[in-house]
Amino acid sequence: MRHRLVSIAPTIIVAVMFALAAESAIAQAAKPAPGAKNWTPPKTPWGEPDLQGTWTSDDCIGTPLNRPANLGEKLYYTEQELAERQSQLARQQQNDLQEFVAPNQRVGTGPPSHWVERGRRPCKQTSLVVDPPNGRTPDLLPEAQTRRIPEGANNENPKADSWEDFSYYIRCISRGVTGSIFPVIYGNGQQIVQAPGYVTILQEMVHEARVIPVDGRPHASPNIRSYMGDPRGHWEGNTLVVETTNFLGNRTGIGLNGGGTPTSDALKLIERYTRTGSSEIQYDVTIDDPKTFTRPFKVAFPLTQEPGYQNFEYACHEGNYAMSNSLSGARAREKAEAAKKK
Amino acid sequence: MAIQELHLMGRTVMSYRLWGWVLVSAAVVVLFTAMPGTSQTSPRTTSQIPRMPDGKPNFTGLWQVLGTAHWDIRDHGAQPGPFLQLGAAGAMPAGQGIVEGGEIPYTPAAGEKQKDNLQNRMTLDPEIKCYMPGIPRANYMPFPYQIIQSQRDIVFAYEYATSNRVINMGKFKEAAVDTWMGTSNGRWEGDTLVVDVSGLNGNSWFDRSGNFQTDNTHVVERFTLADADHINYEASIEDKTIYTRPWKISTVIYRRKEKNAQLNEFKCVEFVEELIYGHLKKK
Repeated sequence: MRHRLVSIAPTIIVAVMFALAAESAIAQAAKPAPGAKNWTPPKTPWGEPDLQGTWTSDDCIGTPLNRPANLGEKLYYTEQELAERQSQLARQQQNDLQEFVAPNQRVGTGPPSHWVERGRRPCKQTSLVVDPPNGRTPDLLPEAQTRRIPEGANNENPKADSWEDFSYYIRCISRGVTGSIFPVIYGNGQQIVQAPGYVTILQEMVHEARVIPVDGRPHASPNIRSYMGDPRGHWEGNTLVVETTNFLGNRTGIGLNGGGTPTSDALKLIERYTRTGSSEIQYDVTIDDPKTFTRPFKVAFPLTQEPGYQNFEYACHEGNYAMSNSLSGARAREKAEAAKKK
Repeated sequence: MAIQELHLMGRTVMSYRLWGWVLVSAAVVVLFTAMPGTSQTSPRTTSQIPRMPDGKPNFTGLWQVLGTAHWDIRDHGAQPGPFLQLGAAGAMPAGQGIVEGGEIPYTPAAGEKQKDNLQNRMTLDPEIKCYMPGIPRANYMPFPYQIIQSQRDIVFAYEYATSNRVINMGKFKEAAVDTWMGTSNGRWEGDTLVVDVSGLNGNSWFDRSGNFQTDNTHVVERFTLADADHINYEASIEDKTIYTRPWKISTVIYRRKEKNAQLNEFKCVEFVEELIYGHLKKK
């Protein structure tokens, strides 16, 4: 035990240094919205902070995980830049509407643009990563660089020998914890339902239900590992703090939809959910994987409410025709190529 | 209900019959006055069930049905399993059914379809493919499920296939679209949680024996806490297209009491990919 504590000491020191450095950035990110000064966070009838409702990360759709290098340490857009982005959003909404109503218009083979979700407000951040200060995912450790990222199939370079060539998302298994909340083109709904002793987060895509005990019980045995890990929550003031461990290694990564280099079985996530207004939760997550990244890092963004937004059943695997079609397409191509050679 | 009370207490005061009656009457009066608004249910049981701050029964917890209804919701004898290699471990145990009256009132054509389903179970049973189980099947599969009850809506998070549903306890919502798990609207009838399930897509079965439903099937469930650790569960099932009359199932749901019991993850997709896509793999 002693030996083990000593061996993880450097990690703890790095984590503390990182936490101190990140504090100012996070404090800024978690600042209540203007006009919310006298707002009192609601409580459940049993006295816990009430986070319930359906929230989405839609407002930060399109914000890259990693900040473009030319923006340096600039985390927030200026007021003028935000105004420009707001008018872009308005134009986009106008276009969505036009495409929806205009008859006989030329359309592509992809889904129409009104299928995707849009934020109502422009995201204030230039990247989802808020720490380190350059807004970029830390470097990978050498042992992580060789981990295979399922490349999936694309038209130019089909790699569809087996379902195992596809991501766990495409296979309808899971996007992992961060992949299930980071904003993507649709399905960003997070429905929070609380009971005395529990917080549940229902995520539309791949129908995850994270049941988070907030009753102080210890983690499950490390022998029980899973895609979504073993979450334990507690309250710090009005903030729900969730620590998740017991992940399976080498499945999903810390990218959109769980993409990117797969994390290891040493991954630990600390998430913080803080209600900052009647329709906003500030979300942040510290990603600590000492077998994958050179240091812990933090991602943060707001979760907001949209009137009328609701989760639907996402029967992903039940309707995964894409998998059958990709595999049978690849087999057909092989057959055609073999026939050509004869 | 009061009779049960009298019976239980009467035994201890048998030799002092007169005093006994006085004591029992007093006890009943005390029980009734101590619990306003619970006159519809037994004072003995309501004193033991967990309640929300507003007095509603609190179903929050980890629950599971015992028994063999997941094999066949009708009475059934023991049978060998489909795979020789699994031997006794793969066999189907005998069990009492949960269908009231024993038989499902299929129309003749539907009865034939059930037999056909059973014969072709390995290719047709949605459980084998890790598809969502639907309602009511999810409630008595051999897996636990977590109920999370808020001051309004109630979540059922099932371990099998990470399937789940939210019971809307607000204004009744029509099913927007047919789904595997259906659209659940709940209401309270005294201490009973009544859940109306509509918008089922008709792809679900009731068990591993081919008993089936359609997209016209309407299910009304009733959850009543018998005491802190047992839920009396009933579901009435109606579908004029395949049943000649409405019918009912009833069983008991048990609270998982182990100190370290918790909902685990059973993402079964990766256990069925070889089965579903194996023929499309590169040779």
